[in-house]
Amino acid sequence: MKKLALSDDILMAIDKPARYIGNEFNTVNKNPADVDIRFAMCFPDVYEVGMSHLGIAILYDMFNRRSDTYCERVYSPWPDLHAIMKERNIPLFALESQDPVKEFDFIGITLQYEMCYTNILQLIDLTQIAFYSKDRKNDDPIVIVGGPCIYNPEPFADFVDLVYIGEGETSYDELLDLYKKHKAMGENYSKQAFLREASRVPGIYVPSLYEVNYKEDGTIASFGPIYDDVPSTISRQVVTDMDSSVYPTKMLIPFVRPIQDRVVLEIQRGCIRGCRFCQAGMIYRPNREKSIGVLKQQAKELLANSGHEEISLSSLSSSDYHALPELMDFLIEDCLQEGVNVSLPSLRIDAFSLDVMNKVQDVRKSSLTFAPEAGSQRMRDVINKGLTKEDILNGSKMAFEGGWNKVKLYFMLGLPTETDEDMKAIPELANEVAVEYYHIPKDQRNGKCQITMSTSFFVPKPFTPFQWAPMYEPGEYLRRAKLVNDTMKEQLNRKSLKYNWHEADVTVLEGVFARGDRRLAPAILEAYLSGCFFDAWGEYFSYEKWLKAFENNNISLEYYAYRQRDLDEILPWDFIDVHVTKSFLIREWNNAMNERITANCKQGCSGCGSFDLGTGVCHARKN
Amino acid sequence: MRVRIKFEKTGIMRYVGHLDLMRFFQKAVKRADLNIRYSEGFNPHQIMSFALPLGVGLTSVGEYMDIDIKNAISSETGIKLLNDNMVEGLKIVSFKYLPDEALKCMTAVSAAHYKVTYKDPFNDIVYVENLKELKETFYDNADCINISKETKKGTRELDLKPLIYSFDLSYVDKIPVYDLYVSCGSTDNIKPELVIKTFYNACKLGEFDENALDIMRIDMFTGEKNNLISLGDIGDDK
Repeated sequence: MKKLALSDDILMAIDKPARYIGNEFNTVNKNPADVDIRFAMCFPDVYEVGMSHLGIAILYDMFNRRSDTYCERVYSPWPDLHAIMKERNIPLFALESQDPVKEFDFIGITLQYEMCYTNILQLIDLTQIAFYSKDRKNDDPIVIVGGPCIYNPEPFADFVDLVYIGEGETSYDELLDLYKKHKAMGENYSKQAFLREASRVPGIYVPSLYEVNYKEDGTIASFGPIYDDVPSTISRQVVTDMDSSVYPTKMLIPFVRPIQDRVVLEIQRGCIRGCRFCQAGMIYRPNREKSIGVLKQQAKELLANSGHEEISLSSLSSSDYHALPELMDFLIEDCLQEGVNVSLPSLRIDAFSLDVMNKVQDVRKSSLTFAPEAGSQRMRDVINKGLTKEDILNGSKMAFEGGWNKVKLYFMLGLPTETDEDMKAIPELANEVAVEYYHIPKDQRNGKCQITMSTSFFVPKPFTPFQWAPMYEPGEYLRRAKLVNDTMKEQLNRKSLKYNWHEADVTVLEGVFARGDRRLAPAILEAYLSGCFFDAWGEYFSYEKWLKAFENNNISLEYYAYRQRDLDEILPWDFIDVHVTKSFLIREWNNAMNERITANCKQGCSGCGSFDLGTGVCHARKN
Repeated sequence: MRVRIKFEKTGIMRYVGHLDLMRFFQKAVKRADLNIRYSEGFNPHQIMSFALPLGVGLTSVGEYMDIDIKNAISSETGIKLLNDNMVEGLKIVSFKYLPDEALKCMTAVSAAHYKVTYKDPFNDIVYVENLKELKETFYDNADCINISKETKKGTRELDLKPLIYSFDLSYVDKIPVYDLYVSCGSTDNIKPELVIKTFYNACKLGEFDENALDIMRIDMFTGEKNNLISLGDIGDDK
């Protein structure tokens, strides 16, 4: 019988013990004695969240294809188990072998959202190694991080040894080969020597080899490598051929139900749209599609190897995929009859998508989602959201005529230049959507309609045209939400409208981490030690503890969140070359201030800097 | 055509709950390409039912699941296809075609056989003097064993004696092993830990910890107390 790291009395005392036993179907089993490199792939959140993540699945598959490497999985122990592990001094373990992570060569952590930063520290803490990389021993595991948050790695730079900037498929082999060479030196192995050489692997950033100097006003005076042989900029890694890139078709089948209980088919990377608030739209450029033949093959394999009864498409904007009708026809023809559901990603609402939805969904239950992001046309022009009021109203009208009566609308509050008029336009737009519904003759309607507006508060992100924008204090965000709520109550169809808004204080923290620098590290550590973790889970989030940790470490919200940054300020993430140039971002910031829209990548090139990568939409367009 | 599948759930699979196990099997039969039949209606689902949920922490060598498949395959092939899609701790042991009149295992089940011992042989509760005599007084020589059972609707007075079909005690390496046949199913579902707990309390044997018990379900049956037929004996190989 497989050994377990946790004893029976612990497993019987905690919630969902199956989170911690491994043994899932399609799990990779290797003998640790047969490999050179042991890699613990961690998702810093609970099992059900982490098991739903496609990126981890891709890397797990890719690493385990190497016969010299055994990649195993780790998820954050839930607070019930965390308390027991701390009390009984049980070290963090990997699911497959159940061995302590401390014995591994690498601890890889993916950072998907800012509020998981204390969970990085939880993983390091339970592994039983020092929090700061400078305090760790030569033979302690190497902590490497990746994921979207690493486009500003500075807030957690002091806790990690390596940062992988970009898509994992390209440089990991070189990094692992290099590590193997160093490890073969046996007793002469020097972590420092490995890190130094790793700094020259494309896409690898070694924070300890760089130093930052600050001006009196707190902004950065200089940032650069300590040694001449360490590169001063790090180039984001990009997959150039999506068709030949590794893609796992044997997904692990968790026992505990994951939040995404379905197989996921990635149809493309990157987005052509260029919304100015959207980090994903910038950092995954250029848009690169998989060919339809590859997708059909992968869809079949994914379903056959998993036994899932649902498949969904993954991409930033599925409607922009060139052969979407053909792909949907294939999925509907081939999958539906087998008892498999096709779950639809966010599609633009038009005649085509409504037709598809009619085929795959039970109309009575489902609601339609639009993401206008802003209520007024002026505001939508500022953010370059190429969606007009006519698009929304026409789409709604078609949907209502097709039998739907529920519409969800997503917006952001606190966008740059937003006025009270822009905020009021949100419920006014929702009201007009409701009016479309009541234009339908009464005998053809399906009861009342329900229009749900949801607003999140805008967080400026690195490498977007809004990276210089100010944020607001929580009270101001709530005033804006209240204005939307009050205006909703003045609408003619108010009884058909519903409004939800996001928490304001967690938004400010996200903003601090998104654009923070190395001086945040002591505050993050203090917050963790004072009990903050699982901050992304409302029930465990404590704004007061965070404010105290900031205060004790002289972290000013004014400096990190609320101020307008100058366009010529050195930003903490400027050393990363994401293949979108700063001059493009400045041009886009100015276009936003002038309410000018920019064409999408299929309409024309706006010269963002990704063309030189030689792949994707930039080059397909010419053919 | 309806098929009854007997399987074992042992080892670390004891920590996987019933709902999670059902979802595992739904995917496993798809992977095995068994051509399972789906229900009609707006929300079609696989025609699959389980005899009786097994609690988290328990193991079993006698679990049953009925499914309805479109094309007949040999029992040997069915077992192999499914076993190729199992994980450590789950094993398919039989695959039998049910006669038309056979009740679904969920409806048919009326009794279960358990073997109960202790997880930790060094636990003090293992060593009780005169356990055999105490057990005879508690069960063999008792006219009734009255307990209050907590249910969703409140507490209910219940006589356990007629619902415990047999209760034997033996020793293996000086560790007590209880052998229990109890009533189960939709009306009087008696859990083995309830029997042992009641025994401990009746004999005033001290604090009772359910988690100290190592419980294995051996088999499940249909029929009356004196004429139990294993659910696995119904149907035929093909």
